[in-house]
This record gives sequence, C-alpha cells and structure tokens, in this order.
Amino acid sequence: MAALTDAGSVRQFNEDAIAADPDSGIAVLADGMGGHRAGEVASRMAARVVFDHLQSRVIAFRSSAGPHSALQALDESINRANKAVFDASRAQAGHNGMGTTLAVTLFYDNRVALGHIGDSRVYRLRDGILTVLTRDDSLLREEIDRGWITAGEAGESHNRSLVTRALGVEPQARAHLAEDEAREGDVYVVCSDGLNDLVNHADIALILCALHVNLPLAAGHLIQAAKDNGGYDNVSVILAKVMRPFPAASRRGWTRWFGRLR
Amino acid sequence: MAKIVLSTGGTIVQQRFVDTETIEIGGQADNGLVIDDPAVDPKHAAIRCVGNDHILEDLGSRAGTWVNGTRVTRHILQHGDVVQLGAFYVRYLNPRAAEADFERTMLIAELPRPTDAPRQPASANAPPARSRMRFPSGRARLTAGARAGQTVALDRVIATFGTPGQGLAVVTRRPHGYFVTHVEGRRRPRVNGASIGTQPRALAHGDRVEVGGEAFEFAQDKA
Repeated sequence: MAALTDAGSVRQFNEDAIAADPDSGIAVLADGMGGHRAGEVASRMAARVVFDHLQSRVIAFRSSAGPHSALQALDESINRANKAVFDASRAQAGHNGMGTTLAVTLFYDNRVALGHIGDSRVYRLRDGILTVLTRDDSLLREEIDRGWITAGEAGESHNRSLVTRALGVEPQARAHLAEDEAREGDVYVVCSDGLNDLVNHADIALILCALHVNLPLAAGHLIQAAKDNGGYDNVSVILAKVMRPFPAASRRGWTRWFGRLR
Repeated sequence: MAKIVLSTGGTIVQQRFVDTETIEIGGQADNGLVIDDPAVDPKHAAIRCVGNDHILEDLGSRAGTWVNGTRVTRHILQHGDVVQLGAFYVRYLNPRAAEADFERTMLIAELPRPTDAPRQPASANAPPARSRMRFPSGRARLTAGARAGQTVALDRVIATFGTPGQGLAVVTRRPHGYFVTHVEGRRRPRVNGASIGTQPRALAHGDRVEVGGEAFEFAQDKA
C-alpha cells in the first residue's frame, strides 16, 4: 500500500486527508470543503473517525464474521464521521457548512468493502484494465446521465467540482456501499478528484500498468502527472495491491498481503 | 454572473444577465432574447443553465447555430464565445469561469429525479479538464533487446523499458523535459555508461540508455 497527498501547484493549503494501514486493510480518503480552512477540519475529522472505528472492528470481521459485518462496520464508521462533522459544523460559527467527500476501502476475506460519498473515487486495475467502481455524486455526472452533455463535452464544463452529496452537511449520511471480490494482482486506487480531473483515464491506467510493481513510485508519478497538467487542485492517492489471497480462515500471512514499500 | 451581449453591424442591441433557468432565442416575441432576422427561426436556440454551466442548444433551426465559426447542435458556453445567428452576434461573457474559480469543491442540490427519462447506464467517465500545459516531443531508437531497430514515440505520460523482475525503468514526459527512473530489479539503468541510482535523471538529446537487456538512444525535438 502506498499513500500520498499533495496540495498541488496552485493552492496554498491541502483540504484532502488520507489515512491508510496495510496491516488492517483500511484506506480512507476525504476531500473537504467549506470556507476559512473548514474543509481541512472536515476532511481530517472524517478520515480519522472512519479509520479509528474500522481499526477497532478489524478483529471482529477478520475472524470469519462475513461480508455483513464488514459492510456494517463501514456503514457505522461513516455514520459516526457524519455525525462528528455535522456536530462540529454547528458548534463553531467558522465551521458552518463544512463537509467532505469520502472514499473508503476495507479489505477482508478475499473481498473489499467500498464506501463513498461525493466525487472521490475508487478504481480497480485488473489484468491491465482500469475500472471505476464508484459513481460520482456530482452535477457533471447527472448532466451526462440526462444526456444534456456528452462525456466528451464534459471537459469544457465548469461544473466539475460541484458535488451533490457530502458527508457532514445533514444529520444522516447518504453514502454508497458496495463490495467487490479482490483477486491476487489487483491494484485498488482511492483518489480525490484532483487526480481524475487532471489526468485522463488512459494515462492513469498506463502509469499503473507501468509501475504497479513499485507502488510508492506509482503514487508519486500519478501526483506528478496531475501537477504537470496544471495541478490547480489538491491531489491524493492511495494504492493497495493484493499480493496474495487473504481468506478469513487463514490468520497466518494476513499482515503482508499488501504491496510493501520498496 | 454571466452576461450575453447581442449586437449587429457593430452596434450593441441588447444586454442581459443569464439569470433564468433557460433563455430561449428566436424571432418570436416571447423569447428571452428576441432576434428579428429572416435567417433566425421563431424558436431558434436556447441556453440552459445547469450549475455553473450555460449550455447552448440549437432547436433544429434551418440556418443553424454557429459558435466561433463552427456549427453546433449543443455547446457548453465558454467566456468570450461568439454565437452567430443570421446577421446578429451574441457574445457570452463569464469572466469568473475563466479564472478557474470553480475548482474548489462545493455542494449543490441534486437535480430533481426525472420521472420519465430512461436512466442511462454508467456511461464513459468524464474526461479531465483540457490541459493547458505544453509537453516536449521525443522518441527512443532501440539498439538492443527484443525491440532493437524500432523507434518508440515518447508521446505519452510514461513509457516502460527493460525486463520485468530484472531491470525495469520508465521514461516520463514532463513539461520541462523527459526523465528516466529506475522501477525494479537489481541493476540500475545506465545513462551514457553511468548508473543513475534511484532518483529520476533528466534525459538530453543523444543520451544512450541501457536497462534490463534493452538499450536505446534518446532524441528530442527542439522546442
């Protein structure tokens, strides 16, 4: 697993937050929003709450508890983060209206549970093909779905940063939960929109195919490509590679099935 | 707020803000922008506002809707665009959009659910905003290995050389030039006979690179 975040070439501060731990199979990314650096507060708080809650539940769903409990833990963690950000936004005038996107992967028993809200994404590289596993909560996505503009025209749009859902802006989180079968060799990518807004899909795939044997180098090159293309947004990526199967039954070898820093 | 300016023969006829959900354009009096011209249909075109976007759509007109000299059926208006309708010009002004002021993440209400519209499949991903950066142009002439004799255009963000597991390197294309970086394998790539270690190394025209059984000569066009 490799995780990197960068303020980009234009902004002075970074509203993205990441938290990842290969040993527990958790990767969390949040892209905050709100004035006066409140976005930074929201994204950090959300990433921390989700990460801590999942880590406290790792033992439970590793010992065979099955998909239900992993998704449940993910749901709980997102609801807790939502409440934390929502309460904090009401407690302090400067934090009013703050919120954050969220994208989470939780690996367990040869599977991965995915949670997201907003326009942060999870991708999977399998057999050289890069697939988006999440569906953006964004106005751009809706414009395309309704046929008002084509995907090709979207590059001309001014709506790329308008999200239709976020964490911490209402009492109840409206997150999307899903799961995927994780196979040996798969590379999962969790990223903020700073990556996919600045680097096209084919180039992200090309960089991952070329560098999946060296995840830190791959993460560095993805961020470098975003900055080389203008870098006007914060950009964050977490890469997780499945080194070998990790069934719930076998405790042995759990800790090192992710890519190691080489 | 965005503004549209209607002019003909060098004279401004009307100006208005784009402040309603849709602005219909045509010869008929009930349009938001009325253009009295024989080449303009009663309902000729419309501007639809979605978030920060103003989408111009031709409504099947006879003479067509032209933006900056190109006929369009639909077009996301950009600051400074000129729409030609008969002998009239509509200039679209939205300086705020030109400043990339919209890149900060913001929350917006979801669009109301369409009742009848068929839900489209998860279509292709939106491409990134058009890059304004300029990149150099270079190529690698392979002199050893399985691809010896071939020339590889270095026209993408990254290109791989060498042999997986033994010696692998990438050449990255950046705005200020090309760089070669060690990826994996015991033996580091060599440039002009010297090992480059683990850091990226800038390539100069004529450099000879060896990595994992492959060798190439690097060439770069003058900027």
